[in-house]
Amino acid sequence: MATVDLTSLDNTIEDGKHRAPLVLGGMDYSDVTDAVAGVWEKKQPAIWWPIFGLAVSLTMLFGALIMHLFFTGVGVWGNNNPTYWAFDIVNFVFWVGIGHAGTLISAILFLFRQHWRTSINRAAEAMTIFAVVCAATFPGIHIGRIWVFYWLFPVPTEHLAMWPNFRSPLLWDVFAVGTYATTSLLFWYMGMVPDLATFRDRSKSKIGQFVYGLLSLGWTGSARNWHRYEMAYTILAALATPLVLSVHTVVSFDFAVSQLPGWHTTIFPPYFVAGAIFSGFAMVVTLLVPVRKLYGLENLITIRHLENMNKIIMATGLMVGTAYSIELFIAAYSGVASEQFAFYNRAFGNFGWAYFIMFTCNVFIPQLFWFKWCRTTPWFMVIVSIFVNIGMWFERFVIIMALCRDFIPGSWFYYRPTWVDLMMLIGSFGLFFTLFLLFCRYLPVIAMSEVKNVIPHADHGHEGGHGHEGGHPATSH
Amino acid sequence: MAHSHSKQPKPAGPKSKTIGLLAQFDDPDSLVAACERARDAGYEKFDAYSPFPVHGIDPAMGIRRTRLPFFVLAIGLTGCLVALAMQYYTNAMDWTKIFPGYAFYISGKPLEISPANIPVTFEVIILSSAFATFFGMWIFNRLPQFANPLHRIDRFRRATNDRFFLMVNADDSKYDANRTRQQFEEWGATAIENVDMDLTDQEIPKFFKLAGIVGLFLLLVPPVMIFRAYGSTNRAPRLHVVPDMDWQDKYKAQQTSPNIGTDKEPVYLYADDRAMRAPVAGTIARGDLQEDDRYYRGYEPGTLPPPAQPVAADGSSASFVSTSGPSAQDSAPAAQDPATTGQYPGEPDWIETVPSPFVVSETAIARGKQRFEIYCSVCHGYDGNGNGLVNKRALALAATGQAQWTTAKSLHDPTVKVQPIGRIFDTISNGRNSMGPYKAQIPVEDRWAIALYVKALQETGIQPAAGAAPPAAPQQ
Amino acid sequence: MHNTRPARITSPLISLSQGYVKLVPLGLLVGAIGIGMAFLFSAAASGGYRRFSFAYLTNFSFLLSISLGCLFFVIVQHLTKAAWGVTVRRIAEIFAMCTLPLAVLFLPILIPVVRGSTDLYPWNVANWARDNSPLLQVKFDYLKWYWFAARWAAYFAIWGFFAWNFLGKSLKQDETGDTKLTLKMQASSTWMMIIFAATLVFASFDLEMSLSPLWFSTMFPVYFFAGGVLGGLAAMTLTALLLQRSGRITDEITVDQYHDLAKLMFGFTFFWGYIAFSQFLLIWYANIPEETFWYRFRFWDAAWAKASWALLIFHLIIPFLGLMARTVRRNKTYLLFATIYLLCIHWYDHFWIVMPQYGSGIHGEPIDGAGGFPFSWAIDFPCAIGMVGLYVALFAWIAGDRPLVPKQDPRLGESLNHVNP
Repeated sequence: MATVDLTSLDNTIEDGKHRAPLVLGGMDYSDVTDAVAGVWEKKQPAIWWPIFGLAVSLTMLFGALIMHLFFTGVGVWGNNNPTYWAFDIVNFVFWVGIGHAGTLISAILFLFRQHWRTSINRAAEAMTIFAVVCAATFPGIHIGRIWVFYWLFPVPTEHLAMWPNFRSPLLWDVFAVGTYATTSLLFWYMGMVPDLATFRDRSKSKIGQFVYGLLSLGWTGSARNWHRYEMAYTILAALATPLVLSVHTVVSFDFAVSQLPGWHTTIFPPYFVAGAIFSGFAMVVTLLVPVRKLYGLENLITIRHLENMNKIIMATGLMVGTAYSIELFIAAYSGVASEQFAFYNRAFGNFGWAYFIMFTCNVFIPQLFWFKWCRTTPWFMVIVSIFVNIGMWFERFVIIMALCRDFIPGSWFYYRPTWVDLMMLIGSFGLFFTLFLLFCRYLPVIAMSEVKNVIPHADHGHEGGHGHEGGHPATSH
Repeated sequence: MAHSHSKQPKPAGPKSKTIGLLAQFDDPDSLVAACERARDAGYEKFDAYSPFPVHGIDPAMGIRRTRLPFFVLAIGLTGCLVALAMQYYTNAMDWTKIFPGYAFYISGKPLEISPANIPVTFEVIILSSAFATFFGMWIFNRLPQFANPLHRIDRFRRATNDRFFLMVNADDSKYDANRTRQQFEEWGATAIENVDMDLTDQEIPKFFKLAGIVGLFLLLVPPVMIFRAYGSTNRAPRLHVVPDMDWQDKYKAQQTSPNIGTDKEPVYLYADDRAMRAPVAGTIARGDLQEDDRYYRGYEPGTLPPPAQPVAADGSSASFVSTSGPSAQDSAPAAQDPATTGQYPGEPDWIETVPSPFVVSETAIARGKQRFEIYCSVCHGYDGNGNGLVNKRALALAATGQAQWTTAKSLHDPTVKVQPIGRIFDTISNGRNSMGPYKAQIPVEDRWAIALYVKALQETGIQPAAGAAPPAAPQQ
Repeated sequence: MHNTRPARITSPLISLSQGYVKLVPLGLLVGAIGIGMAFLFSAAASGGYRRFSFAYLTNFSFLLSISLGCLFFVIVQHLTKAAWGVTVRRIAEIFAMCTLPLAVLFLPILIPVVRGSTDLYPWNVANWARDNSPLLQVKFDYLKWYWFAARWAAYFAIWGFFAWNFLGKSLKQDETGDTKLTLKMQASSTWMMIIFAATLVFASFDLEMSLSPLWFSTMFPVYFFAGGVLGGLAAMTLTALLLQRSGRITDEITVDQYHDLAKLMFGFTFFWGYIAFSQFLLIWYANIPEETFWYRFRFWDAAWAKASWALLIFHLIIPFLGLMARTVRRNKTYLLFATIYLLCIHWYDHFWIVMPQYGSGIHGEPIDGAGGFPFSWAIDFPCAIGMVGLYVALFAWIAGDRPLVPKQDPRLGESLNHVNP
């Protein structure tokens, strides 16, 4: 009873009775395969090379600066006496936050049966992993004695009676981010195996057949395999959901277990998680709008997908705004002078400008998405998303700059980043984009097997009452 | 055995064997329908292949729910226990054998499992469950399996694209090449094909074995190298990765003052040539204020007489706060006899009872006994009779002129017995005659505990040792 | 393969029909007896009216949080254009509508505050801030009886309007079948969600956090919310089960709807645990006296320490393990038991928040003669039964003879055919 015209281009309107289609252009199974495999089979768009070149050179700059840091010391950064933590932790939290969208899309939206996730989850998961790689770099290079990095882990040593302090939030971070990176990688890879098998079966070159053959583990698409595969996918989603909450929660514990006003506030865990999803979705929008344009995937990643993401950006932006407001209210309500000062200083102190950038970008600018034109126009949403990411970077900056003015006015000091700080931030973007561009080049950017599942097939028995509703099992847990 | 009675129209070559019959369908619904009919026709060993999980195929094929969740649950619970045990072992146990634990209080958090251990436990549960899910799924699915006869069929390449397949295995009891083929046609298959396994393909190539052996040996190299480095000593100087950190531009304690002149004519910044500055006069370290005379010094507040003038005649030392002894006793005519009251002239009023916050209890006496036996018994002996090991040895040496020694006093001596507890505390703290001060070694509450124990010891009725040394003379 | 069900109501009985004629007076009677007993027993005991106020506040918070949880459920259903929950939405709408009559039940709390009583809220004294701490001037300005009353009037007006909006439009759709009403509700659910969140935040501060006016925690609204949604889901599921047992709406709510509700309850059990643990961990770890006293009392007193551990075990671990298995989530008998359990433990959560303030001063110091674990079978139990009786009466009164499923919702078909693989 799919009365909606599948070739119609505007699938952002629903009349309440029918579900709008998720895939446009009347694509069938082989069209989906062709479109997605085409990204890998066809020549890359001309612009790929200059962007890749730029990204690689920035990555090399990043690597050179890391070497500079190792051989000269942490003094090359602008960290100073009250501000022991600065750009390194800001960038770490920023990148980890970005890395939350992928798992959110693949796990939480999966559990909530949001079928529109199928077109975007692969790219978002890839982005997650690359963002976590960037994130893990910063604390990794900040540990000072890099050659004993393995002390972060509980490695038994016979002579040295020493173990990590499991009661320290910084060690929780090691476990949380490590678990998150591992689980995201497993999730991403497992989701990709059927599509890698498609690549294997389409590959013309011997090398391609060998590499994709190896990566796809001999997948045949057997129904018995699919059954366990889907169960495993659901379990991983159910595990990744609390995990994604826990990761940014643990990151927020780094600050919130301390006694510093502006850091110690109990709302931090959910507020950090909301902020992470917010920035992650903004990054997904920023990446997918050019990707769908360059590779001609408009029928798979439709305006409706983008619109839904923008709605989530708006919702999480409001959550973040609510958390800001609760913090301000409680600072006043608490009556604790140092608490009140911390927030007054945040807004009107020496980093007040950063606070206003944060508030504008995170709370006010996303409100543009109340207007339908704003949330359905690709170039415009990219601009908003970039503002959101700027705002979220500044949010972490604002939080961490609470260090500048602590309890003792005698130790107050302004913080100024050095050129190394700034170039490392830019260099980390180079690393991120290098990995993402390689991903687009060699791996399936859209989860074909999942998209095929949400394509309407008219003669499929139980579909009758409603438009799309593939039979993709969402939750059997 | 299924193979034996299968009469195939196309006989398989001598080096290959038919393992099943494959049917192709063009849409998922026909596949589901075919699966239902295959199940109803009594086939057991058959499988469907599709580019995506087809809805409703599990009941159609009669697939039972996988046991994977239980496997994951078991591994997850194990992970929970392992995480808790690991944290307890490393952070709460002071095990000193191999891989010692490291019980250390940090930021006032308890050693044993506390809320601070929950985040790591949670992450380990998730990590182990995720591994269990991922690897469990592949193991249950018997993957990876790189050699599969299906991959040799060109048509089957579309199983990962847009076609749907059903294969009945040749070893199914109901399998019959002709009949099965006929059934496939009835069920609407768009193509039917034999699946042959190339038997010549079964052997692993020789170079694989060789490469495997070489690879195994190569894998051994890193551990051997690590083991070698572990057991050997390197004479080369340490590598300084971050010289700034190893040689820092700062002054440490006890270094000389910065030289602001030249090397030849050094002018030191500070007149005393030290880099370290003394604290401002009158500075008191945290916790060193010690205002309470009763508790910290053992006398009633404000009763400390002005320092006694050193008596030149007997050379009494004024180095202790309360120098006293027989000489002081002799020089000042006493209103009361110190030998019976324990209050010596020229000394403050010693307190007679233990001061607050010290609380007399069985534990306090036990503590006093233990401390006494560590610090005091070496001279005064376990029973307080002045017959400790050091005393005995020193007396033996003194007898041959090899040492000078003032005999340790018996604590049961009547002159000691009458002393107020405050004075005993003072003796322990500041020493008396040739006994040295123990203020620096023993914390104040332990000194009270020892004084208390001494008092308890005196109540036991032990007599001073026969021929005990006379009351300690002034320093000789 | 199963066949598609038509988007039609097939149950013979889809309203309370004559049931409400019995339920309303019965609920009122139980309410009068229960609350009356609690009042008399507390008057006879040493606590007097103060003791009764605390018991009453515990139960009021419990019921209000359930209604708010249901209101949240309704708003989210529209916000996400969800189809699976259409058939259970009406029950949630009716529970949400109970917020308005709950305003009347709030009067026993509000009137004493207006009259200057400090039984519940120690801040309700003219010179409170000055006498206790010079730092609390801001709080003193915020916590004034007239602001308190004005805020509560605003909360009830807003919630009542939202609930009326959804219930009214939904009932209207039952008759007209107008799809536009669904779209209208979708559109309004966005801004309503924002205002709902804002009111919930301040209501939780006013209702329960200000019982201990020196204490503050930015997480508290989220804690209140997590528990409330859990309670709301449990109440909805229990109502649906009981209605089906009495032969009503037997065909519309399927095992798959229960499965989803159970999954949500499972999720919110975990979410509650996450929020509760985070709040506790941060305060415990930082160990700042300004905040720690709130937990200190709950762990210092031997009886309360046991009660706090019980909350962890019975509110998190047992329901978490209990709702984990799929077979359990799809078993109606088990769910009946589980929802009653969850409601009891959710009640206990409010007891745990409210009651310690009865036995402690504003700095968390134990009050002589009022310490220990104060649960009383003579006061708290009849009060709870009475209040729940009143709540049932409210539900029946609002439900009346109206249909208990949205008969003409455009997504009814999708909901009836909803399958949980």
